[in-house]
Amino acid sequence: MLKQVMLHKTGMQVAQEVQACIGCNECLLACPALVEPITIDVLNHVTLGGAIPAAVARFARSCYQCGACVSPCPVGLHRDAMMMWLKVRLLQAEE
Amino acid sequence: MLPPNPYDEGASQAPSTFPETAPVTEPLSEKKETGYPWLFFYAGTSWLKGLGLTLVVTGLGGISYVWYSEATHDTSPFSTPGLIYATLGTIFFVLAAVSYALRRRLRKRAVGQLHASLNWHVFFALMSLVMIFLHSFGNFEPISGTFALYGLIAMTISGFIGRLLDRVLPRLIAVEVQKVLTEQGDDRIANISQKLEAIVVHQTQKELHGFKVGKRDTEPTPVPAKRSSPNSMSFIGDMLHKPWDLAYISLEPTQQELDRQGTHYRFIPDKKSAFNRPEALLPGAEEQMSELQEMHTAMQREQFYRYIIRLWRVFHICLALVTIGLVTWHLIFATTILLRIYAH
Repeated sequence: MLKQVMLHKTGMQVAQEVQACIGCNECLLACPALVEPITIDVLNHVTLGGAIPAAVARFARSCYQCGACVSPCPVGLHRDAMMMWLKVRLLQAEE
Repeated sequence: MLPPNPYDEGASQAPSTFPETAPVTEPLSEKKETGYPWLFFYAGTSWLKGLGLTLVVTGLGGISYVWYSEATHDTSPFSTPGLIYATLGTIFFVLAAVSYALRRRLRKRAVGQLHASLNWHVFFALMSLVMIFLHSFGNFEPISGTFALYGLIAMTISGFIGRLLDRVLPRLIAVEVQKVLTEQGDDRIANISQKLEAIVVHQTQKELHGFKVGKRDTEPTPVPAKRSSPNSMSFIGDMLHKPWDLAYISLEPTQQELDRQGTHYRFIPDKKSAFNRPEALLPGAEEQMSELQEMHTAMQREQFYRYIIRLWRVFHICLALVTIGLVTWHLIFATTILLRIYAH
């Protein structure tokens, strides 16, 4: 039986992480799912809210939560959790 | 402060902070892509290049195999074409194993390069499998080479299943996370727990109040003490000093007598009573509890899916290590035989 552990982050926690991002781009460089050139500023802005551009939507769908983006982050942020929030927003848009 | 989103035409309308989430719409300048389909595919440049090369290499390999098989009867793995296939297969195998692993560890890279490396990893593995298969020339005796081929097949299949899981499981995780979060991104478990707590507190206060009121209302009038006997010490009350042996005898009504006279407050309702329903004592709690249970199940599922992703990656790496071992064993074995043949 698996213990109940909260592995995702709430919207508020994601917002805090986005605000703490220094924009070094290390997470995107380490990402094996990213095909198109997306800047970290655009990704952060879209994660916070608003319309999701097609390129970012494709990236969010392609993200397979491998966690490769977490270890290179110099400020210890969880880009995978931010991408999960984008996935949830895409799902919400589907309904 | 974050800069305005150049992709977003409606950036001015978009909220700058959580928890409000604007409806997901696409800018007019871009192709409309909404939602999160189960199966999606984006072919990048590296994928197309890799596919092209794989088709060319495997096509040429297939044509040469057919041509050679018809032209000669020497169809053994140690024949010249067999050795060429083996060499090519080994080169592709090494490229598949090394290129992606090295690229991941390189500090100097550009956005999208790792994805291209992953694509090449897949296509090199495919080309390697085809070449090694052609190298076997249909000989599947239980020797080192056959085990290495089986290892390659298992590893390639595990890689394909892994890529499929990478598409399906993150969506399943997102579905579970969506259940646990509100539309604004708040934790639903915390919300439900607060509601549940409020229900319990409200009902407890109501019950306590009802209990007090009931007791006050039903409190029986004190039974007057019998004062028939002039020798009785009780009617004198506390005014007189009581002897120690009579101090414990009281003519006040006992609790049993009070209970018998008063109405009963029963915590356990009768079977036919309306209070016997689970929600009677805490209305609304049952619903909240079941929702809480659903949340916990969703979190467990999320954890399970993440566990499968990690486990499959480890399994694929383990298979790769075993296959490298089998290929190395076969290479040593084949080199020894070839050295003996060429020595004589």
